[in-house]
Amino acid sequence: MEDWRRIDIDAFDPEARLRPEDLVPNYGTTITLSELQPKISQLRSLASSGDMSSAIQLATSEPPYSADEQTKHQYFLAVLEALAQTRQTDMAKVVKSLDRAQKDVLVKYIYKGMSLPEGKKQGGILLAWFENLTQDSGVNPIVHYISDRRTV
Amino acid sequence: MSQSLRPYLNAVRYSLEAALTLRNFSSQEVERHNRPEVEVPNTSAELLLQPMHVSRNENEQVLIESSVNSVRVSIKVKQADEIEQILVHKFTRFLEQRAEAFQILRREPIQDFSISFLITNKHTETLKTDKLIDFIIEFMEEVDKEISEMKLFLNARARFVAEAYLGEFVY
Repeated sequence: MEDWRRIDIDAFDPEARLRPEDLVPNYGTTITLSELQPKISQLRSLASSGDMSSAIQLATSEPPYSADEQTKHQYFLAVLEALAQTRQTDMAKVVKSLDRAQKDVLVKYIYKGMSLPEGKKQGGILLAWFENLTQDSGVNPIVHYISDRRTV
Repeated sequence: MSQSLRPYLNAVRYSLEAALTLRNFSSQEVERHNRPEVEVPNTSAELLLQPMHVSRNENEQVLIESSVNSVRVSIKVKQADEIEQILVHKFTRFLEQRAEAFQILRREPIQDFSISFLITNKHTETLKTDKLIDFIIEFMEEVDKEISEMKLFLNARARFVAEAYLGEFVY
């Protein structure tokens, strides 16, 4: 033990450093794609029938936080489709009908959309959603988004 | 400002407003150091916050990465063709070489982006945060105009030079 001054004692303390996975809350169960499939198809059918308000309500309530990336992506594609099908004139009304938790989820999907190539093609529509959301509730949902570790 | 640019700039403004809440924070790794946590390889995940992408299309986007004491804003300026690519590269390089005059400018952009700003708690303490946001928004507004103006000027100049040069060969 002649070189004991050089030992990194923090490495032996599990509480000294937090890894990204330590910050994610423990969900208990993991949602699989097959469990989520009914919700995705319900979302698609609501969106295609033109009932945008219920479609967005459904999309933003209980998102699959605990699922793996692949499943999240499948769900995200369905949500993006619903977001893109909404007419710009209806957006303000839809946003008004959401509660606070749902708005927080909506802003997560908007930011996720703008970071992926599928969503960048719909940039204009996502920005219109973003504008309606900020007109309705200001900077609040964004502040929640920044510090929320549950990703969609 | 054009009708389609406004939502884009508004989104960047709101995102920056949310991100620019910084505080002084000493390094947890190195004793008596104080460094922008978004820039250094970090072993403490709690110091970094969720990154925000705002994109108008594939060619125009902004990435805002925030941490406890610093925010990095990276802008991808519209580059429609090769001339614009060269012009944007020259223009941003010109600014980056004079980065100390701009305070918040980063000397090198991060990958895939044209220009980056690094705002730390020092800046938000000494400068007005609203004005910082205004500066970035104004920069984004102006840079597109500037690039297209330079492109027009370059084309006019090239035409004139070509005429003058090739005129020698007309008898």
